[in-house]
Amino acid sequence: MAAHAEGAPLLRITGLSKSFAGTRALADVDLDLRAGEILGLVGQNGSGKSTLIKVLAGYHRPDPGATAVLAGEEFALGDAAGAADAGLRFVHQDLGLVPSLGALDNLALGRGYRRSRLGTISWRAEREAAVELLGQLGYRFDLTRPVGELRASERTGIAIARAVEGFTRGARVLVLDEPTASLPAAEADRLFEVVRRVNAAGVAIVYVSHRFQEIFELCDRVTVLKDGAHVATRDVPDLTEPGLVRLTIGRDLEGPGARHATAARSEEHDAALRLRGLVGEGIEPFDLEVARGEIVGVAGVTGSGRESLGRLAFGSLPRAGLVEVGSTAVTAGSPVASIAAGMAYVPADRLSNAAFVDMTLRENLTISRLRDVSGRRGLLRERERQETLRWLTDLEVKPCDPEARLATLSGGNQQKVMLARALRLGPAALVLDEPTQGVDVGAKRTIHDIVRRAAVDGAGVLVLATESEELLALCDRVAVMVAGRCIGVFATAGLTADDLTELTMGTAGTVADGAAAAPAAPTAPVVAGSVGAGR
Amino acid sequence: MTALDTPVEQTAPPAQQDARRTARFFTMSNVSLLFIWAGLIAVFGLLTPETFLTTDTFRTVLAGQAITAIMALALLMPIAAAQFDLSIAGSMGLGIVLVATFMAKLELGVPLAIGLTLLSGVVIGLVNAFIVVRLRVNSFIATLGTGSILTAAIQWISGGQQIVAGIPQSFTDLGRHEVVGVPMSVVFMLLIALVMWYVLELRQTGRYLYAIGSNTEAARLAGVRVNRLTTIALVVSGLIASVAGVVFVMRIGSASLDAGTPYLLPAFAAAFLGATQFRQGNVNVLGTLVAVYVLATGVKGVQLIGAPFWVDDLFNGAALIIAVALAVRSGRQKVLV
Repeated sequence: MAAHAEGAPLLRITGLSKSFAGTRALADVDLDLRAGEILGLVGQNGSGKSTLIKVLAGYHRPDPGATAVLAGEEFALGDAAGAADAGLRFVHQDLGLVPSLGALDNLALGRGYRRSRLGTISWRAEREAAVELLGQLGYRFDLTRPVGELRASERTGIAIARAVEGFTRGARVLVLDEPTASLPAAEADRLFEVVRRVNAAGVAIVYVSHRFQEIFELCDRVTVLKDGAHVATRDVPDLTEPGLVRLTIGRDLEGPGARHATAARSEEHDAALRLRGLVGEGIEPFDLEVARGEIVGVAGVTGSGRESLGRLAFGSLPRAGLVEVGSTAVTAGSPVASIAAGMAYVPADRLSNAAFVDMTLRENLTISRLRDVSGRRGLLRERERQETLRWLTDLEVKPCDPEARLATLSGGNQQKVMLARALRLGPAALVLDEPTQGVDVGAKRTIHDIVRRAAVDGAGVLVLATESEELLALCDRVAVMVAGRCIGVFATAGLTADDLTELTMGTAGTVADGAAAAPAAPTAPVVAGSVGAGR
Repeated sequence: MTALDTPVEQTAPPAQQDARRTARFFTMSNVSLLFIWAGLIAVFGLLTPETFLTTDTFRTVLAGQAITAIMALALLMPIAAAQFDLSIAGSMGLGIVLVATFMAKLELGVPLAIGLTLLSGVVIGLVNAFIVVRLRVNSFIATLGTGSILTAAIQWISGGQQIVAGIPQSFTDLGRHEVVGVPMSVVFMLLIALVMWYVLELRQTGRYLYAIGSNTEAARLAGVRVNRLTTIALVVSGLIASVAGVVFVMRIGSASLDAGTPYLLPAFAAAFLGATQFRQGNVNVLGTLVAVYVLATGVKGVQLIGAPFWVDDLFNGAALIIAVALAVRSGRQKVLV
């Protein structure tokens, strides 16, 4: 591979801890990166991968006591400039490109343009350099075309090229944070080729991924994190996929293999919410039914399509396919129509999509249907106040003051108000997108109780969540999404959080037979992203 | 006497809550304009008692600012929904030229002339709404553009000539009319203010507009018909601006070109300065009216001391910047984010 002696440590981090307001995100982690190798970094959501990378990039300052040595020289962690000087380069998940600019401009951002003698931008020099750089990585495309119009793998390529530009001088270590999260499978292969080329030029690589197949395809060694601690670092050839799963989730696997999915359909006449052939952003035809009184979860890592499913079902994103509440088909593309049909939606990302922070709790709550609190002469403040007070008391919102501003509440209490806003509609179908986002433990429990009560009252509830524990605590059944498609719907009884997490990683060797979707070939999520790419 | 004399039925918590609400209303920052107003009157009253503290001055300020107040009221619905309407100056200007042309040149009856002129305001609002809602052009740019187009329309219709003759006596008489000593223009202003207050504070429409202004995407996801309400807001602002035009001709008795433009900035200054009052960061009717008259009191007082004629523009410009800066500091300014 490279000219370095096998096994010589290029980067060595020892005793790295990081705490946020009392919670320990990283506990005494050691990391060794050998010269010229590709090191995989894996772990579940919340295992500390992102924190580790952010500390390396200088975005977070670690707790005292950590040391970092790069090529024999110590450097300070938690200092962005220091990390860059030492030769660490990062490609983050969102790539950080400007979509409306071409590759030439994106490459020049940050470093500055090459100048001619007159001080103007020397486009010829820029173009020559870019052609050479991207050519080394095996790319050929229009350098002035807005990168937003390029293929996803080409965009990733530009981000990598920008990170390692002149890797003969600066870059020694390239950290790739889930570069394939939004890539279709075919383009992922293209990306691996690029990663290998950068590696062949002598840059050691830390490769973070949720997808274990990629680790086996690409990496020399793999480091496993769990609950903020370093679990193991192994040579990949010595590992099997089940072995890696065992290290990642800390237990043996057997569950899902023996498990059968329950039917994706409940009895026809009882369905509160029915999704049939739902297609849209990041999602292949998706089928699911939620019965009255049932809580059905949707699990999936970020990029699996889980995060857009709620908005597609509610109609705030363009969709194709059929959505029915009860037996009424819901007009696509209109939240108003969805609400009129009996659907209520609590969006993810409360601050952007749900909260009116400068308005009162009363105003936040009643906005979902002002008709109920209006008379002929307009809004009935007192009736509004009374209803708000009832909900605040019922959901244990603190402070229990209808006239308080939403901004003055904690995240958990704000979220309860958002839930109350949906529940007061008495919805037949309730769609909850990350219902306990940014919520403390106590409020989480209350929110779960509220959701259960809504189901007991007859609503069909669809819960989309990242956290396996949450889904298991709440749901009767869980649909698992991998790379845009549903790989099966599982009864939660007897399922553990680790089983579920494992399923979402798409590595389980078995796919349930009863699932609505056609059986997929195990370990081959070839359909990834074909909705977007194929058309 | 009734509230105080019935202690048993009134349980403690609601009473306490009411007290808290009242206390919250009367915080210094919430009603500071009232204090400033009182201060201005006291200072100028002491400096120039013989000219400032007269009913004449009072009436001049009251009537002189009626049109400014109407223009500021026109802005409230768009601003509540986080939209600009810079075309109100053009709508008012067109209203002036149209109502005069209809009566003086086409010799239409007064009611028909007024009706058609108000219709022009509605049409302008619909065009603005089409550009903002359907074409998705930012409202600042959209109404900046339509404002310029309206200026062109004014010049075209009038042929560049002021209309000074031919406006019926009955129409200008209406402008000189007084209702129990209150000039007609002030009566119109108060009527518009009352309706606007009712819609913004007590109707669903008002609540929806403030919600859109607070967080448009959240409003959409909560089932608010954002496009429809934005359209309503822009139509209402166009309509009220054309009313301002009609009232202007009524008062002055002639139609000068470009008479709307001088009202644009004071209207924005008053709306934004008013937003710092009473409703904690949101535009509102009471705040707007108070702001109009605080600014006018300041300008008048300084003029009486002997300040030059340009102090008006100076005052309004400074007030606009200070008002928005205050709102940004309190973290509640949404329109300009």
